[in-house]
This record gives sequence, structure tokens and C-alpha cells, in this order.
Amino acid sequence: MAAAKENYRVELRAAARQLGDRCLYSAAKWAAELLVGIEPDATPSQSAAMDTPSSSGAAPGGRLLHLHRSGGSSFRRRMRPGGGAGSEAGTPLGGVSYVSTPIPDDDAFDAGADKYLLAKTYFDCREYRRAAHVLRSQVGRKAVFLRCYALYMAGEKRKEEETIELEGSLGKSNVVNQELVALERELSTHRRTGAIDSFGLYLYGIVLRDKGCEGLSRTVLVESVNSYPWNWCAWLEIQSLCTSSDILNNLNLKNHWMKDFFIASAHLELKMHEEALKRYERLMGVFRCSDYIQAQIATVQYSMRDLDEADMIFEELLRTDPFRVDSMDIYSNLLYAKESLTALSFLAHRVFLTDKYRPESCCIIANYYSLKGQHEKSVLYFQRALKLNRKYLSAWTLMGHEFVELKNTPAAIDAYRRAVDINPRDYRAWYGLGQIYEMMGMPFYALYYFRKSSHLQPNDARLWIAMAQCYESDPLQMIEEAIKCYERAANTNDTEGIALHQLAKLHSMLGQAEEAAFYYKKDLDRMEVEERQGQNFVEALLFLAKHCKSMGRFEEAEHYCTRLLDYTGPVSYLFTLLQPN
Amino acid sequence: RDADFGALLELTPHKMAVCHLVQVFAPPAQQQQAPPFPFDSVAHHNRLGLFLFALTRSCEDFLEPPLEQLLRQLKAIDDLVNGWLCEQLTTTLAGLNSPDDLFNFFDKLRGVLTSPEGGNVEDEFLDPNSQLGVFLRCCILAFNSMTFEGVCHLLANLVAYCNSADASYDLAEDEDFNGEIEMSDPMDADIGVRSGVFDRYTQGYATESHMGESSSSLIHAPISLHNFDEADIFKAEDNPTCLRSRWQLEAYLNQQADVLEKDPSSVPLNSFNNTMTQLQTLAPELHRVQFLQYLNALCHDDYVASLDHLHRYFDYSAGMQGLFSRSLSPHQDNIVGKYESALLCLGNLHCYFGHPKKALEAFTEAVRVSQMNNDDSCLAYILGAISNLLSKIGISSTVGLIGSRYSLGNNIGLGTPLSIQQQLLVLLKRSLKRADMLKLTSLLSFDHISLAKFDLKHVQRPLVSFGPNGSTKLRTCPADVCKNLRLSSHVLSDFGTDGLSIANDNGSFSTSWLRNLSDASSSWHSSSTKPRKLITNDFDNFHFHAQPSPIPTSVLQLAGSAYLMRATAWEHYGSAPMVRMNTLVYATCFADAASSSELSLAYVKLIEQLAVFKGYSAAFCALKLAEEKFPSSTNSQIHLLKMQLLHERALHRGHLRIAQQICDEFGVLSSSVSGVDIELKTEASLRRARTLLAAKQFSQAAAVANSLFTTCYKYNMQVENASVLLLLAEIHRKSDNAVLGLPYALASQSFCKSFNLDLLEASATLTLAELWLALGSNHAKRALSLVYQSLPMILGHGGLELRARSQIVLAKCHLTDPEFSVSEDPCAVLDPLNQAAEDLQVLEYHEMAAEVYYLKAMTYNHLGKEYEREEAAARFKEHVTALENPRDEEDSLVY
Repeated sequence: MAAAKENYRVELRAAARQLGDRCLYSAAKWAAELLVGIEPDATPSQSAAMDTPSSSGAAPGGRLLHLHRSGGSSFRRRMRPGGGAGSEAGTPLGGVSYVSTPIPDDDAFDAGADKYLLAKTYFDCREYRRAAHVLRSQVGRKAVFLRCYALYMAGEKRKEEETIELEGSLGKSNVVNQELVALERELSTHRRTGAIDSFGLYLYGIVLRDKGCEGLSRTVLVESVNSYPWNWCAWLEIQSLCTSSDILNNLNLKNHWMKDFFIASAHLELKMHEEALKRYERLMGVFRCSDYIQAQIATVQYSMRDLDEADMIFEELLRTDPFRVDSMDIYSNLLYAKESLTALSFLAHRVFLTDKYRPESCCIIANYYSLKGQHEKSVLYFQRALKLNRKYLSAWTLMGHEFVELKNTPAAIDAYRRAVDINPRDYRAWYGLGQIYEMMGMPFYALYYFRKSSHLQPNDARLWIAMAQCYESDPLQMIEEAIKCYERAANTNDTEGIALHQLAKLHSMLGQAEEAAFYYKKDLDRMEVEERQGQNFVEALLFLAKHCKSMGRFEEAEHYCTRLLDYTGPVSYLFTLLQPN
Repeated sequence: RDADFGALLELTPHKMAVCHLVQVFAPPAQQQQAPPFPFDSVAHHNRLGLFLFALTRSCEDFLEPPLEQLLRQLKAIDDLVNGWLCEQLTTTLAGLNSPDDLFNFFDKLRGVLTSPEGGNVEDEFLDPNSQLGVFLRCCILAFNSMTFEGVCHLLANLVAYCNSADASYDLAEDEDFNGEIEMSDPMDADIGVRSGVFDRYTQGYATESHMGESSSSLIHAPISLHNFDEADIFKAEDNPTCLRSRWQLEAYLNQQADVLEKDPSSVPLNSFNNTMTQLQTLAPELHRVQFLQYLNALCHDDYVASLDHLHRYFDYSAGMQGLFSRSLSPHQDNIVGKYESALLCLGNLHCYFGHPKKALEAFTEAVRVSQMNNDDSCLAYILGAISNLLSKIGISSTVGLIGSRYSLGNNIGLGTPLSIQQQLLVLLKRSLKRADMLKLTSLLSFDHISLAKFDLKHVQRPLVSFGPNGSTKLRTCPADVCKNLRLSSHVLSDFGTDGLSIANDNGSFSTSWLRNLSDASSSWHSSSTKPRKLITNDFDNFHFHAQPSPIPTSVLQLAGSAYLMRATAWEHYGSAPMVRMNTLVYATCFADAASSSELSLAYVKLIEQLAVFKGYSAAFCALKLAEEKFPSSTNSQIHLLKMQLLHERALHRGHLRIAQQICDEFGVLSSSVSGVDIELKTEASLRRARTLLAAKQFSQAAAVANSLFTTCYKYNMQVENASVLLLLAEIHRKSDNAVLGLPYALASQSFCKSFNLDLLEASATLTLAELWLALGSNHAKRALSLVYQSLPMILGHGGLELRARSQIVLAKCHLTDPEFSVSEDPCAVLDPLNQAAEDLQVLEYHEMAAEVYYLKAMTYNHLGKEYEREEAAARFKEHVTALENPRDEEDSLVY
């Protein structure tokens, strides 16, 4: 065990150095974070655990105070804005042995080493074209990579600028990275001749992705991670190209331990929460102190609506890493859902001080205002977040919610629609669209959107209930369809029990007493288990009593009637019930 | 917010070129000479003006043309001054090397619009409010509101614009084969252009760095930096992709929509989608593109895609970017609402794909929403759409579709539920009233046509009948049909009073003018022997139809539909010449505006007429032509017609196997949803019954016909029932069960009478006569009088088959009449028989031809003419063998 851990450490240490050397900052950051996340070997860990009495409760196992943790944030993410915000990683499958991948040696330092050093400093100062220029005649793989990467970054930077400069009356025109064609040509030549390393392949992959050749891009990236698995950014790119579990399963990946991180993260993205959770928990065995895994687990918990558990993990995370901004937008969503205003304001204040120009920060502040009921301000901050990252999916959706609050339906529709166009799998935005149209008195039109959302998230009872309510609404009155939807809802995790009650009601409306009795009974059982009582409870008892009486099952009827006696209400009705026919 | 000024236009190199030409057209300091400097005549001067006007209005594409194309077009005008204009244009544009040059350029432009200081106010300047004046002002405004980055981009684009032309233009000038090389290897040519760009850039860089201008880095730096391996480095886009002005873009989209409507088969699904996607990436806020994508998917029967695009379009724009407005005037947009039009479109989509129930749900919701939003005009449109839906689908009863929950009948305060026809009528009348009130001329006209269609097919009953014995006399009212058709055309004549005529200049005139100009100039280049006149007189370059029509296309379409409707009406009432005439009017006068489905309908009608009156070979000849015009894969009407003709011919020839096969194909064509494609289903079972009849399987044929009768009764299709009854009578007659046939024939006759189906009535009378004849010779007199009664109608309007039948019956009447003696008046029998034989020959109708020859042989036998008798007998045998031993059955599928 210890040897294996030592192995991980060696690999990650080398990886962080190599990645940093190639200016792949966020990948290096990730590797370094993971490196310190490995559970310390037995002896030191015990003593360390004693230092931290705070970590006793929630988190599995002791946690360490990593004083050097804050170093991670000194690296600004430059590579892909917003790219790594949400999700990462995979789970080790028991019993399968990992393929060990040798750590490649760096190019031997030759005559070009000094120039490389210069180029790297330029790159660090964000003078990309200068960096590329310095390396113009270098042929070493490392130099070629850095030159191409610098060119790519220069193109990206220019692209960002042009996007704003070229905004016309008909919207932003689609500016492309001007360097893509040249880069693609050069890198494909290198790939053909074999004069390319895994970093080059990674760059080639993202160039291809930007050009829209997704299939080839996937292949190239897989090639890259198979030869150098520690580049987390490459995994993230693959993940963004895996839009369905079919694609994911068909990837030809070597079974390295990094793959587990990837698979877990991909599962999270594809909403296969249980699988993701399982994998992360297994990974926790080795990387016990990894903040990253903690954050991912919290995200999974949040997605599975296990708010308290997630809350605890996030709190712990913030304690160990107070300047963290990554994943904090999810935490703010969680706090919003829990309506804990103070915690949310505290979080907003903290990220505001850390880095107010991160889309996540704006989103957190917007969430705070939204919870305060100041929706105009909330919209303002969402807009700021979107200005920083136009493809910030959840901001679009949340802004849609705000516009709904403001009764600005066209704007809300627009916001939701943009979210859907960025990611057609965002069921919340589809659901939002459906809700708006339903609010506008267009239930038939809304059905299209509800269908879309329930198609994407078939196990969410809320969506089926919304759809059923559309069918049930006054103008449509399509009771049979409504019943079908409620049945779907009842078969999934309908925690509020709306579906059962409605099913019973609709069936009794249609005169199908048997079915109605069945669902009332079920609803009754559910309410008993949850120890909930109320109008529905009485209604169910009344119906069942009446039904049993009409069926001649007097004992049962009597049973229900006696129970009814516990409630105030239609006592007179009871008497009529108890009279013999 | 964008509409403030940015929306006017975005400055592009092409627009700068046009600006420059405007300056040449109207030089700032105008000397007193009549045509200004480079022009040799006023006409020449005007021609440049016309060219510039067309340039700012044309909507051929969404991208602006490259300089090369502009120069080619300019040449046609420039020729008189030996290319002075082209040269001047290129040198001026090439001379703009720094941002400051651009400032000066636009500064100078201002002089075109205003008199110089101290100048005479009376001097002629370009009218600032003219098309070109406005254009110029927009350009100047756009430049003035540009940021410095914008100016740099403009400059970079300008350089690329000039260079893209430089290379290819010069090459084309010099030698032809250079052009070919360029064609064969675009990559090389590209490199040529590229290096040109590099030269320019390095030059510019050098000079500017010399001047110490740091600004240049914005445009030049990226490329000059990589000079070390410039051969390898390509920019993604060589030519700046510049969008045309918003007006032009919208006109372009309108034009594409027209094309889609007119002939969807000419627009390939995917390539059109690609074009639209490209446009969308360039102009993401131009949501109308999505509407076009919706139309495209709809035309190509892609349900899922059309649904997606529909929702996307309305989500983004709520229909505010125009839907009905063919014009771009703002007040048109106001009259049509937002989300209710989304529902209207959704309903139409479901209607198109044959989902009547969903369509009705959508329409009902649309009615509700538009009532909520007080959107009267949309409501009128929705009512029109609902009535269109109701007339399209067969609904057996009111229950189920428009149930009592929101019964339309309840709205008008009638207690009893209305039949679907009555609801349709009520809806149509309401829509008509609203359209009239709101002055929606097109809708008014459409409603009139729908009403005519309704009156034609549906039997009027009083809306409220008192008591169980209330009058339920069924009738149709041709006068109403006529009135409505007349009104529909009549209301269109005052289309000028509403917004329709505003849409007149949609840019198509300018587009075709420009297109012809370049055609003419290029052809002139290739063979300079062509008369010079060709380019000196611009109006020679027009095709007639390219000229702007004073009547908008949509109006023309409606007017045309009225003619088609008239033809259909006459088809029912049984006047062949009127059918022909009206269809021909449609095909000749309205073909340009017609959509492909309507035009093909007209062709179908004409070909049907040919088949009935001229026989199959003529009809198939025409069909081949029609199939060439409308590729069969996309046009179901032509396909149906083909199957109908083949079926008829197979029946006549006695190729029953083939006939059966075609019948089966018919059955497959119709949708399986009950109530949809009801006409097709009726036709299919009618044909099946006829095939069975021809195969002498009488009981089965009768069963099919009976079930068809029930269906028609269920769907209230009284008019169709007349012919079903007649078919039943025919079946019973053929099965030698004349007594049973009589009531059917009589019923059919009375149906025809009350529905004014004159030709069908004549045919029923004829059947009646045959039935009487079959009852015995003592009824011959009665039969004869019946035949005489029907003869005028049949000989005037009937087709070959009907005429032949009547002749045969006539002859038979004479022959069976015991008082008639053949030897006294052989002509009375032989003349009709000969006539019939002739007609049947054309139709290849073996069964009846055999009968004719049999009768002829008998007659000759009576007359004692043995030779003629033998001849007739031989022909009889020929036809009988052909009927009984069908050979070459496969031939029946060939034409």
C-alpha cells in the first residue's frame, strides 16, 4: 500500500513538474493538488491527525491542514476559461490491475535549453507571440510544443478581443482562432511522422476540437492520455467530447489509475450519480486528503439532493482551503436550496475578496441577491458572470429563473433558450421553458418542453408531475395522458407524494373506483410511514371508507371510519356512512 | 437597443467601394457640364446610378460579393470609358493604407451630400433622402461611430478585399488558362493571394513603423511576426466575410422562403441547412434564419427538426422578427401577435403532418391566447386555419375532437351540438367577418375560397331545425359557390388599400437586374462579336418576369387559387369546357406565382381531361412532360394521377392482376390515422370495388361499395355517395339483378339532382335506362326516352367512355324495341355503334368494344350483310380473346 502510494507520489511529482514546465498550468495545478491529497504514510499521518481536531466528524478519516494549499491559487487558469470548473475524475474498479505507464524523460537539455527558458518566461508573462518567436527555429519536441501552444494561446487571446471588437448589430459574429489552420497543419505533419509527444497530441486534440472535427479530436486525445495519463486537462477535453454514455464506453483507454478520475467525472457529467459516487469513494481510499475529490463528492451529493451531506463537505473544504473558488458556485446553489442566507452571504463576501472577476464569484453573489428577493441585482450579477463566460450554462438557467421572478417572460425564455442551445441536455432549462409557457396559459405548447426535459431526466418525478399537470389543466383536460404521467412519477422518487394523490383523484373522477382505492391506499401507507397528516389523509380515509362500504367490506369500512374519528371535519358525513343501506 | 444606429448597416469594404462609386456618380464639386467628367452621355451616367441603386438593394446572397465580381459587373457600364471606373476604383481602394486614409476617405464623402462652404445652394447635390443618399449617410454614420479597433478591422478587411481581387482579376484579364489553373488548384491560387497579402502587409508595416505608428500592430502584427515561415501559415479566412445590410438580409430570407414554398424539391435539405447555419454563425441575432430552417424542415417532411426549429425561433424572438409580414415596414409587425402565432404555426405544422388532434389542440390554445391578448387579427387567421383543418380531415362526429368541453358551438349560444360541417361553416363565417372588419384582404379572399369549397362539397341544412320533422332537405347551392369565388377575386382588387402593396420592392428586381448585367457582360467578353446594343440598352437584359410586378405574389396566388377552385367546381357540376378553360387560365397566367403543388394540380386536371377525351396515349405523353417538370419523388399528386391512369387502362384492357396491384398500392399510400387522407381512402376503395366488379366478383364488390357508402355517410360526404350509389347500381346491373339495381340508380339520380352534379346525373340516367332495358323488352320505350333525356349532357360534356356507353344503350334500346325494325332504319343503330367503336378503340376498352361488335354483327345479320357481319364477328372475337386471355400484362405498367 505504502509502496503504491509512493508510486503515485513519484508519478504526480514528475507530472506536476513536467506540466508546469510546458506551461500547462491548470493541469500542473491539478496534479500538484492531488499530490498533496495522497494520504500520508502511516506514521506521519497519525501525528498529523492529532493536530486537527476539527476534522473529527463528517469527513471520512482525519484531514490535514495543508498550509501550502493556498499556493495552488497563485496559478491563474488561462488555458480554457471555465473549462475545469465543474467536474473531473474516475473510480478504481476493484480487482483490475493498473497498467503502469513509464514517466517519460524530458528532452535532454540541448543547446536550445536557454532559449526555451526565455520562451517560458515570456509565456509566463503572457507574451505569447514573443515566446513563439524565440522558439521559431527549435526542433525539439518540447520546444515545438511550447511554440505551438504559445501560438494557440495568442490566437485565443486575439479571438477574445475580436469577439468584442466585431460585435455587430446582428450579434457577435463567430470569430475563430486565426492560428488554427496553421497549427493543425503543422501538428498533423508531426503526428504523421511520429515526431510528436503526448503534449503535442493534446494540443492537436484541442485544435481539432476547435475546428469542429470531434471524432478525430477524441481519437487524438485518447492517444495523448494513453501515453501520458497525468495531463488532467486532456482528460477534461475528452470528457467534454463524450456527450453520451455510448461514446464514453467505446473509448479505447488504457487502464491507468487516472482513468478512474476521468470515468467518475464523466459519470457525474452524464448524471450517472451513483456510479460516480462509488468511484470517488473508492478513490478516497488513496487520495484521502484530496480537496478535488471532496468537491466532486459534494457535487454528486448535491445532484442527488443529499444537501446536508454536501453542505458538510463544502464547509470542510472551505475550512481547509479558504481561498478556493472552484466548485463554490455549486456550494452557493446548495446554500440557496437550503435557504441559509447567512452562510451564503459569508461565502459571497469571501469569494468577492478572493477574486471578484471570476464567473463563479458573480454567480454566487447573484444567488445571494436572488435569495434576498432582490432579483434586479441578481440579474445584474448573472449578466456579469455571463459577460465573463458566455457559455456559463448554469448562469443562463439561473438568470432565467430570476427573469421569471421579475415577470419578464420574453427575457426568461431567451435566457433559458440560450442555456439549452449551449447544452441541449440541460433539463432544468427545458423545464423552465415549459413552466413559463404553462404560466402564460399555453399548456399544450409547454408540453413540448416538459417532454424534452423528462426525456433527459426520466427518473425525476417533478418533471413528470409538471407534465401531468399540463395534461390535467383546464384547457387540455387530457386525463388519460395525465394519469400515465403521474404513474411514471409515482414509480420514480416522488418524495412529496403528489403523484399518488393525484392518481387516486383522477381515477375516482373517471369513476374507476378500484384503481382509485388502490392509489388512495398506497398514498395512505406512504403518509403513515412519513407520519404526515392533513387534508389528503382525511380525503383518502373518507374515500376508502366509502369505497369499502359500497363494496360490502364493512369491517374495513369501519376501520377507516374509526380512524376518521381522530380528525375534526365532516363528522356528519360519517353518520351517513355508518348507516346501513 | 441595437436599433439605435448599429442596425442600419455595418461598414464593409464592399460598401466603401459603393461609396466611392457614388462619389464618382455625384461628384462633390459639380461643374456645370451636363454629364460629369467620365461619362459621355446622360444615359451612361444614369446607368451607373441604376447600377448603384441595384447594388444597395439586391438580395441574391447574404454575403457581399468580392471585389472581383463587382469589377466584372462594373465593366458592363464602364466599357464606354475604357475601364476608367474600374481602374479608378481599384487604385483608390488600394491607396487606403492607414487608418488616417480612411478618415480622409469618409471626410471627402461628406462633400457629396452637402454643398461646400460658400457654394451655391442651388447646385445639384445628391438628395440626402434618396436611396443612395441614405446609404451614404448610413455609411458615414457607421464610420463615425466606429471604435479605433473597428477602423483597424475595416482596414484589414479592405486589404484582403483588394488582394482577393488583385490576383484573380489580373489573371483573368491576362490569359484564359491562368483562370483554369486557378480553378483546378485553388490552393495554389490561394498561396498567390496570400503572398500578395503578405507583400502588402510588410509594405504597410515598414512604412508605418517608419512613421512610428503603433496602431499598425493591431492589423499587421500577427502576420508580419510569422514571416519566418509564411508559406506554412494560413489564416483561416482569406476573404473577410461581410454580411450585407439588414434590409438585404431580410429580403434574401424572404426570397428563400418564397423559393421553398414554390418548389421545395429544388432546395436540397442539407445544403440549405448548411447555408442557414453559416448565416446564423455570422449573425446570431438574426433569428429569422431559424424560421427558414423550420420551413425547410417542414418542406422536406422532417417532423422532429421542424418542431425543434419552430420552438427555437419563437423562444428567441417570440415571433417579433416577422412572420406574416412580407414587407419590412414596422406597422405590419404590430398587427400580428407573439406567442399566439407560435401556436398558429404549431397547429399548421401538425396539420401538415397529419396529426389533426394535436393540431386542433394547438389551435384551440391559440384561440385562447389570442383572446387573452386581444389579438383580433391573429384570431382571424387562426379561425381560417381551423376551418382549413376541418375541411381537410374527416371527422365522424363531434365527440372526441372538439368535445363539449370547449365546443365552438356553445360559444354562439346554440344548445345542440353542431355537426362538424356546421362548425366549419360557423368558423368560416366568423373568420370572414373578422377579416372584413380588420381589412385583412388576403385572409378575406382565402375565406371566400374556403367558403366556396365548403358550399361545393357540403350539403346545406338549416342551422336550427325545429322539431323532429324539421325540414332536412339536402341541397348544394352553386350560386353561393359562384358568388364566393367572385368575391374572393373581387376583394383582392383593393389590395392597395392595406399593407400588402407596401411590400412591393423586395429587392428581386435589383437582384435580377444585377444578375443579368453580369451575365450579359460575361457573355459579351467571351464573344465580342455580339451586337453592342446588348449592353447599351439595359432593358434588353431583363427577362420579362424579372420586372417588378405591381401585384404581390401572395395576392397572385390567391387569385390563381380562385381559378383552380372554379375548375374544380365545374368538374363537379360537369362542364368539361369550363374546367379546361379555368385550368388553362391558371396555368398560363398564374404559373409564375404558383406553388409547385398548386401548379401540379392544374397539370393533373388538364391531363385528366386529356385522358377522358383523348385517350390514354395522349394523356401519358402529357404525363411524361409533367413528370419532367415536377420530379415525381416529391410530387404526390402527379404520382397519384399516374396510378389512376394506369388503373383505368388496366381495367379497360382487362389486365386485372395489374389493376389489383395498383389498387393495393393505393391503399398503402394513405395514412393509417382514421380521418386523415379521407379522399385518398375513398378513392382507393372505390377503385377496389371497380376492380372486383371487373373481375365479376359481384358480391365482394357490393360489400366493398356498401362499406364505402357507410364510411362516406359517417364522414358526411354526401357528394361522394352519389357516385357510390351509382357504382352499386352498376354492380347489380352487371350481376343481372336489375330490380335490385333500380333503387340505387334512382337514389343516385336524386342525389345528383339535389347536389347539381349534372354529368353524374346524366350517367345515372343512363344506368337507369340500362336497368330498365335489362328488365325486358317491354321497357325499351321508357329506356329510350331516358337515354334521349341524358344525351345532350353526355354528348356535350361526357368523356369517351360515357359517350360510347350512351351510344351502345341507344342502339340496344332500338334493337330490343319490338316495334323497331332494323331493316327500316339501319342507320339509327349502326351510326351510334360505329361511333362507339371508334371511341372505344382509343380507350382500348375491350369489354365494351366486344359488346359493340356483337351488336354490330347482330345488326348486319338482320340486314343480311354477311361480309360485314363476319368482319364484325371477327373483331368481336378479337376483343373477347384479348379480354379473356390477357397478354403482356406487364405492358400495362409501362407508358
